[in-house]
Amino acid sequence: MKKQVIIFQLNGEPAEIHIDPAKSLLKVIREEFGLYGTKAGCGKGECGACTVLLEGQAVNSCLIPAGKINGCSVETIENLSRGEDIHPLQKAFAEKGAVQCGFCTPGMIMSAYAFLKSNPRPQPPEVRTAISGNLCRCTGYKQIEAAILAAAPEMDKENKG
Amino acid sequence: MKTDTGTVKVPIGEEKDFQSAEIWARVTGKAVYGSDFSLPGMLYGKILRSPYPHALVKNIDISGAESLPGVRAVLTGAGLQCKKYGIAVDDELPLALEKVRYIGDEVAAVAAVDPETAERALEAISVGYENLPAVYDPDKALEEGAPQLHEDFPGNTAWQRDLRRGNPDAAFKEADLVVENKFTIPAVHPAYLEPISCVAVYDPYNGLILHTALQSPDSVRAIVARVLEMPLSRVRVIGPAMGGGFGGRVYGNLKLYIISSLLAVKTGRPVKLELTREEEFTVGRPMVSASIKMRMALRRDGKILAREADIITDNGAYSAQAPWVSKTLSERNDSVYRLPAVRTRLRLVYTNKVPTAQYRAYGNQAANFATESLMDMAAGELGIDPLELRLRNCTREGDTTVHGLQIESCALSSCLQEAAKEIGWGSKKEGRGYGLSAAIHANGSLVFDKNFRGSSALARLELDGRVTIFTGEQDYGQGTHAAFALIAARALDLDPQLITVQSGDTLSSPYSTGALAMRQTTIGGRAVQLAARDLREKITRLAAELSGQQVALEKDILAGTSGVPRDFAAVAYYYHTLTSGLNLTGEGKFVPGPADYDESGYGNISLTYSFAAHAAEVEIDRATGALTVHRLVAAHDSGRIVNYRSACGQVYGGVTQGIGMSCYEGYLFDGGRVANPSFADYRIPTSLDVPEIVPLFIETEDPAGPYGSKGIGEIVMVPVLGAIANAVADAAGARVTDLPLTAEKIYEALAGWECAD
Repeated sequence: MKKQVIIFQLNGEPAEIHIDPAKSLLKVIREEFGLYGTKAGCGKGECGACTVLLEGQAVNSCLIPAGKINGCSVETIENLSRGEDIHPLQKAFAEKGAVQCGFCTPGMIMSAYAFLKSNPRPQPPEVRTAISGNLCRCTGYKQIEAAILAAAPEMDKENKG
Repeated sequence: MKTDTGTVKVPIGEEKDFQSAEIWARVTGKAVYGSDFSLPGMLYGKILRSPYPHALVKNIDISGAESLPGVRAVLTGAGLQCKKYGIAVDDELPLALEKVRYIGDEVAAVAAVDPETAERALEAISVGYENLPAVYDPDKALEEGAPQLHEDFPGNTAWQRDLRRGNPDAAFKEADLVVENKFTIPAVHPAYLEPISCVAVYDPYNGLILHTALQSPDSVRAIVARVLEMPLSRVRVIGPAMGGGFGGRVYGNLKLYIISSLLAVKTGRPVKLELTREEEFTVGRPMVSASIKMRMALRRDGKILAREADIITDNGAYSAQAPWVSKTLSERNDSVYRLPAVRTRLRLVYTNKVPTAQYRAYGNQAANFATESLMDMAAGELGIDPLELRLRNCTREGDTTVHGLQIESCALSSCLQEAAKEIGWGSKKEGRGYGLSAAIHANGSLVFDKNFRGSSALARLELDGRVTIFTGEQDYGQGTHAAFALIAARALDLDPQLITVQSGDTLSSPYSTGALAMRQTTIGGRAVQLAARDLREKITRLAAELSGQQVALEKDILAGTSGVPRDFAAVAYYYHTLTSGLNLTGEGKFVPGPADYDESGYGNISLTYSFAAHAAEVEIDRATGALTVHRLVAAHDSGRIVNYRSACGQVYGGVTQGIGMSCYEGYLFDGGRVANPSFADYRIPTSLDVPEIVPLFIETEDPAGPYGSKGIGEIVMVPVLGAIANAVADAAGARVTDLPLTAEKIYEALAGWECAD
């Protein structure tokens, strides 16, 4: 397809690319901007490893064509922590055993991040539903659920503070 | 009768909840996995695969591909001089020569400046095939006149085993009860979330470097060197982060490593090859499917007298580790109970389907499904409670099992009792089904490579007083490095946060047979313990030399009177100047004695053994057959637990994989074609599918493992299958013997039972 100019916000900064609009947002993030924290597990929207926020909503970036992001804001795992500040979700994932191989972790954290922003005091079943589109083969999800529940009050405090 | 020494311990000890610092790279998205890895000037490789299950390759025309701009190399089997290679048997070539044997067989490979050009190059290759009759069913493949896959393996038998212990014929004659059934288990994929990739780099000065994450980099390095006929020191494997393994990355995808290497040699440029998720399912290596006819002889009082099994495992087109998996499948489970006599016949059969390899627990879970189902059938016939029947027969400390395994620590009976107690065995809920299951798994195999039974490690004192452990034991999330840091910390009296564990480069790491056979914590951990002790001894000696007086080491402070260096850094620097540049280094060599076993495999084949009993509570919708697993209690004897949080993580994850395999996972085939090569169609458990899982650790003090510990990584999956199958049978009043236990099969079993009623 003919290349187009696409202008969007990436991790809070203006971004502009000249690209085939059919190319996936996943490839744009990784190949054009070198943000390899977003992972490619299947390329078909089945595993959730590539989850990013598009206009604040968690989406599978492998399913979003670049042409659709014009004028939108995109947020990736790299935006959660700046410098030495570790986001409460990342801290809880590390401390609660929520990470084994870690390949699903960035996508899982982005799903949890979007979820906790809209539901700061969730019940365990709501957490399980929120991450049901993110496959993890290592952990059985138990310690992930515990990490998200532990991070919720911390994240709420940060948002209010 | 000896009683267990174990005690129940709920994992709460904060001191055993350690995470090593490498975790931070993973939560921030900074960890570089194989699929993220690239190098300047790198080319992209693609593989042309056979669209036919069985065909002769008559001709290949690569001229169109070679003339495309941006294409740097095109390879076919005819252009290579490679000999056949393999893992257990030599039955593969890097690229097909005269014949393809399954849909997906590698026929040609290209390297180009970008993936799109490489894809176009594949389309420009034309191949002339002549179709051959194909065979997909292993029973049919064994028949006279069946299509033959490999000239070197007549009758399509890749491997076989006939095994007898004791006198099974007499036992079956003497038996009060014989229970029997046929069990089928489909091929299953480890389904690690990151598809396998490899970047191969070659130059005549440095030799070949493979950037790929492997559970056994040293084994793959040796095979690649052999196939490419390169001196071993010219091949180096550097591991990026690994997105899951579960046995599937012990040897990973050898074809991918060999082909990317051949392309790198030919082009002189780095070449990246990666599998798509669909390729993971269609040409990656699932674990063999199995069909198990099993019968068991028992006395009226519940004593098991003998067990017979006739097993067919479906190898697919090439072998990889399928013979070894078949071997474990055919015998390990026999040591769960005190069996006086055993007869086993196994045939591993070639078919024109996806080649197979291994998955967590090496087929032991398939045998568990069969044996534990028969145990409950026998309990029903004899009118003995299933828990009681297991307790009367289970292996105990001090036993030598039917295959000669010597059991020096074992809390299996406690595991059974505690799992049953926790699930509510004595107060079962109306409308729910309950099932029990028991398992053993070898913990540190001494026969995987008879020349390398142990492990070695280096503990290097850094100039700032920190310690780096060099080991060949890989960590891909299972917590090996954290466990090693804890073991070294204890031996050195040092804060584990000050210890870094390195294993990612074959140039700097000691050799290891790999992350397999639950050998890392026990065997690898012992090497780390010895290295740390050696370093500690050297530090104390040097501190004394430096200060001219006796020095004791307590809580990482070197204690003595005045003039004694206060910390490790002072000693490190002293040695550094003394040697003009060396670091003080402790060496740990843990070399267990040779396994004492005969030609039939009888003997003590492992350093030690882990045990487990699981209990499941399920519910069945009688209108639809739909199965809900409510709760799974996992009681484990893995010796002293090194790190509770990661041991729990292994239990949660392994049980979840067991639930997937019990309830819905499995390859489906349409002829030779994989019919479900995606996560949409090959469903693995999501967060909504996992029941409450209760880990219980019944801690024994193992004499062999470091600080009494044993392994846990593989056995966690084994008993799940039997526990769920038995709980389903309990709830349904009828037994499903064909995995996975789908609603459809349960519904049919219910209907059959209700008609008969």
